[in-house]
Amino acid sequence: MTEKISFTINGEYRSVEIDEETMVIDVIRDMLDLTGTKRGCDNATCGTCVIVMNGKAVKSCNTPASKMQGADILTIEGMAKGTELHPIQKAIAESGAVQCGFCTPGIVMELHALLESKPDAGETELANALNKHLCRCTGYEPIRDGALIAQQIIRERMTEKA
Amino acid sequence: MAYKYLGKSYIRPDAINKVTGKAVFLDDIRLPGMLHAAILRPQFAHARILSIDISEAEQCPGVVKVVTGKGCTYRYGDNIRDLVPMAIEKVRYIGEPVAAVIADTPRHAYAALDKIKVEYDPLPVYIDARQAMSEDAVLIHEELGEYWHLPTLNPKPGTNIANVYHLKKGRGEEGFEEADVIIEGEFNYPLGSCAALEPHGSIVWFKEDRTIEIWSSSICPFIIRDDIAHSYGVPVSDVRVHIPDIGGCFGYKSDITVEQTVAWIASFVPGRPVKWVASRKEDITSTLLAHGIRTVMKIGAKRNGKLVALKTTVYHSGGAYSDTAVNVTIAATHNSTGPYEFEHCDLTGYTVYTNTPPVGAYRGYGHPESQFATERMMDLLARKLNIDPFELRRKNYLREGSINSLGERMWKSNGDIEKCADRVQEVLFSQPKKKEDDQFYYGRGFAAVMKSPKGAPFSTKGCYMKMNIDGSVSVNMGGAEVGQGLRTVVRQIAAEALKIPPEKVRCYNEIDTQFSPYEWQTIGSMFTMQGGRAIVRAAEKLIQGLKKTAAQVLRTDEDYLEYDGEYVYLRSDPSIRVPVTQLARGYITDNGITIGDLAQSVADARLPRYSNPDQNGQGSLGVTYTFGAQAAEIRIEKKTGKIYVDHFASVFDVGQVINPLQIRGSVLGGVTMAIGAALYEEVKFDEQGRILNPHYFQYHIPTYKEAPRQTIEFIETPDPIGAFGARGIGEHSVIGAPPAILNAIYDAIGVDFYEIPVTPEKIKQALEARQEKEYA
Repeated sequence: MTEKISFTINGEYRSVEIDEETMVIDVIRDMLDLTGTKRGCDNATCGTCVIVMNGKAVKSCNTPASKMQGADILTIEGMAKGTELHPIQKAIAESGAVQCGFCTPGIVMELHALLESKPDAGETELANALNKHLCRCTGYEPIRDGALIAQQIIRERMTEKA
Repeated sequence: MAYKYLGKSYIRPDAINKVTGKAVFLDDIRLPGMLHAAILRPQFAHARILSIDISEAEQCPGVVKVVTGKGCTYRYGDNIRDLVPMAIEKVRYIGEPVAAVIADTPRHAYAALDKIKVEYDPLPVYIDARQAMSEDAVLIHEELGEYWHLPTLNPKPGTNIANVYHLKKGRGEEGFEEADVIIEGEFNYPLGSCAALEPHGSIVWFKEDRTIEIWSSSICPFIIRDDIAHSYGVPVSDVRVHIPDIGGCFGYKSDITVEQTVAWIASFVPGRPVKWVASRKEDITSTLLAHGIRTVMKIGAKRNGKLVALKTTVYHSGGAYSDTAVNVTIAATHNSTGPYEFEHCDLTGYTVYTNTPPVGAYRGYGHPESQFATERMMDLLARKLNIDPFELRRKNYLREGSINSLGERMWKSNGDIEKCADRVQEVLFSQPKKKEDDQFYYGRGFAAVMKSPKGAPFSTKGCYMKMNIDGSVSVNMGGAEVGQGLRTVVRQIAAEALKIPPEKVRCYNEIDTQFSPYEWQTIGSMFTMQGGRAIVRAAEKLIQGLKKTAAQVLRTDEDYLEYDGEYVYLRSDPSIRVPVTQLARGYITDNGITIGDLAQSVADARLPRYSNPDQNGQGSLGVTYTFGAQAAEIRIEKKTGKIYVDHFASVFDVGQVINPLQIRGSVLGGVTMAIGAALYEEVKFDEQGRILNPHYFQYHIPTYKEAPRQTIEFIETPDPIGAFGARGIGEHSVIGAPPAILNAIYDAIGVDFYEIPVTPEKIKQALEARQEKEYA
């Protein structure tokens, strides 16, 4: 049984046909060719597939695609404006948080969901968010450094606006 | 020495692509007409295949072809040719490919897989090397005597022993006669997984013009090229291998592995590219595993602590195929001395066939496994001799003039382990230890480590370099970027050697055997050192070429010219000069007549004087060493038995730091990985050889909250082998954590552990046993 769903992804309105087995990651990677979202495990453990759906960090590998109906979705491809990186991307690139880079998109999206809604998130909230993501390369310290730099930039940006 | 572009934290050239999701990994590649493969794995870890019925699977929707191993006439392997791309008459481990479905989508391929029916006749299963070595054990490879192998290997046909390596130094075992004290111990480093975040995978395309094109998440494109060409009888130049971005390696994406299986499958559908990407489960059950090394060790020493003799027996459960395990065993065996000098050594390493996935490289390549034993033994010996463990080690460190097990003389330029050890001692042991409280026991433990690259005679790395008309430079190499930051290092070393800013150096992106210079494999923590030297050599040649052209322009001798990155000029008068931008394509004179050559160069570098072992198992097999010291400060929770690593210190003598941010990142990650090995990670099997924990939620790797605070420092004693004095560091940080943590556990609760991982259950058992003893 196929059904048609429509949603906004990275600011573009899209429609696709799905069936009951289709997961969000299948739509993103295989139908829309947005391959920045990664598949690192079989059962929602590693966090590489995290995207932002209606402002929340979501594991796309175990979320049924039907949940995308009418949703506003952001993937790693929608973060930068041309060559201008989002502060989280910039901070993560410069803090040493990128080694192999396979976990990076998921972590950037996780931080986006957290920091854009809660720029004052405390140490525990940050740790709880990042603890959902596996990284085999960095020992996590540079990811924390990047997250804190990003948080600083986002806060400053908000103060300027206010 | 002060360098302009070294010792500075430039941002990696691939960082932007990776934070924007634009880096292309294997599974992100889509080719015209591409098909997808799913692979069937057996229900038994050791069995004869009686029959395979593919008829129903062939009828499933989307299925293009169903493939078995029937008709495969070749074996492959670079050390011992014992591998098959797909099981033929027998399966030897639980993750072995038995059949495959090629379909239009992965979903269709997997759906049809269930319809393949296989009948097996089960055989006895051996998980551990010593079981498989028993006299009545059934042979896992009846044909062992027929396999081609490197002349340096020593297989034992008629047994499950794939190779025996033996090293004798001095009087060997007789040397124990000179010892006052002898201690013995047995240590186990169980099977583990590299568990990189990106699962292994390949795309293979047998094209209509009889060339073969391959994409793989691998660090050895040239081995894949040469091996596939050999297996399919085509010229090496007709096989083209691409390496996209790689989502972590840590060892198991070296050597040729899944590529041969995907090639076998794809060979049945010529004209169509076939992609296969491992699920996480398959990444653990069906690609290379790690470790599986049991070390039995005996150390003899004088009463004053001077080490005299070492006897090591390494029992390596090498898995169902030994091609990728044999050299790990050899490295584990001759490096089991750790960073110490023993006058007499009797070291034996058995690589043994077992019914487990084949073992291959894992960060550290044998060194962590056997030095886990050495560093536990040093603490045990110190206790027995009642000598301070730091003092015992200091007495015996390999230093200028000492001779290691291989017979190699150590030079001052091999680095200063004493300085590393002293610094770690200062960082973690200068304050009194925290006192036991209601909740926790506290402990600290130390380990000193060393590692050599484990090279090979042909282990060279090539470099192509060209200067463009604006003076910018393109550098092309065959080194695989797995996250270690090699492209940043290329950029900085090339900038330093060419005296131009790193921003003017653009480094190659993907590797393509059609365009990239030869590189053996990007392994052994060798790239900065050997690849760096290739860059320096290429830069020297390129500068020489510029001078040759400039000599004609300036009408003088080449050796009367200097180069500063922007100009070639007269040594005596820098105002008489020609800009490099006018030399890059040759020099165009006023009337258009052009003189001189393109500014480009080719160079390579290997481990100088690397040799095969002699009849004593000795020789120049190490060539270069990085020494270091590490220590852990831990806390053990009384209620749960849980171990928290609060602070971990590492100091290595790396010769020259190229990029401080990256080298810290490398050690941070390595230590975290090794904490995983010490406390959590073990690939578990049941008696039938089935893997019990092939998922991340079962095979736990360290998470954000489990990463310790780390102190990381470097000593810089330049190594003349490496570019600008730099030595290897990629793997070394994983060696010391398990022994340091286990030494710290003893310090905390007075219990000796001899195997890892030390889980909370084991700690609780030990604490209960200790309590019973106190009451008794």
